Amino acid sequence: MAESGSTPAAQQAPPAARPQGNLVVAVLSAWLMPGLGHIYLKRYGRGLAFFVLVILSLIIGCKLEGNLYSVVAGQPLTSLATLGSMGVGFPYFLLRYGLHYQGNVMGAGYEYGTAFLLTAGLMNSLLVLDVWDIVRGKKE
Amino acid sequence: MLSHFLLMVTYALIVSLFFTLLWRRDRREQVKLFLQIFLGMVGGGLLVAWLMYPFPSGPPAPIP
Repeated sequence: MAESGSTPAAQQAPPAARPQGNLVVAVLSAWLMPGLGHIYLKRYGRGLAFFVLVILSLIIGCKLEGNLYSVVAGQPLTSLATLGSMGVGFPYFLLRYGLHYQGNVMGAGYEYGTAFLLTAGLMNSLLVLDVWDIVRGKKE
Repeated sequence: MLSHFLLMVTYALIVSLFFTLLWRRDRREQVKLFLQIFLGMVGGGLLVAWLMYPFPSGPPAPIP
């Protein structure tokens, strides 16, 4: 029943950063466009780097004609994959509904492309959580 | 031309850069983590490929 503040790990932990920014705006902007949440929190360099990495992954996935997941009836796992892909935010909806992007299951790079597209969504989901932590002062 | 190796290296590069920037702030720590993740992914991929080499490739997978 030791108090959490008295453990060695807690003593060595760096001091918590100061909470900053509006949580809703930060999280929404982080989800809508990769890196935008970090830019909103004045982490310009990191925000730009994250934008480039996530969008690059998305572009490579599209060039390889990978599958941009959508829910398929009778295949419950596609819901999870769709949720993961939607993590990339606005670009997902732009590709699916604006550009009517369709993967090509016959394409040589289909599996690779799917991995890149899904990874882009998952990376941006992690960015949303990172922005959440920064706003709450748990991370610098 | 589609190169499996090039795609693997590209994927490893993007992912390792992403996690390096996400998890580390200090430059030395960033370089260390980047090398760990990148070499782990590429080396691990090559190791698995090498272990699978004796197995026959079999017929191509059916198209769903």
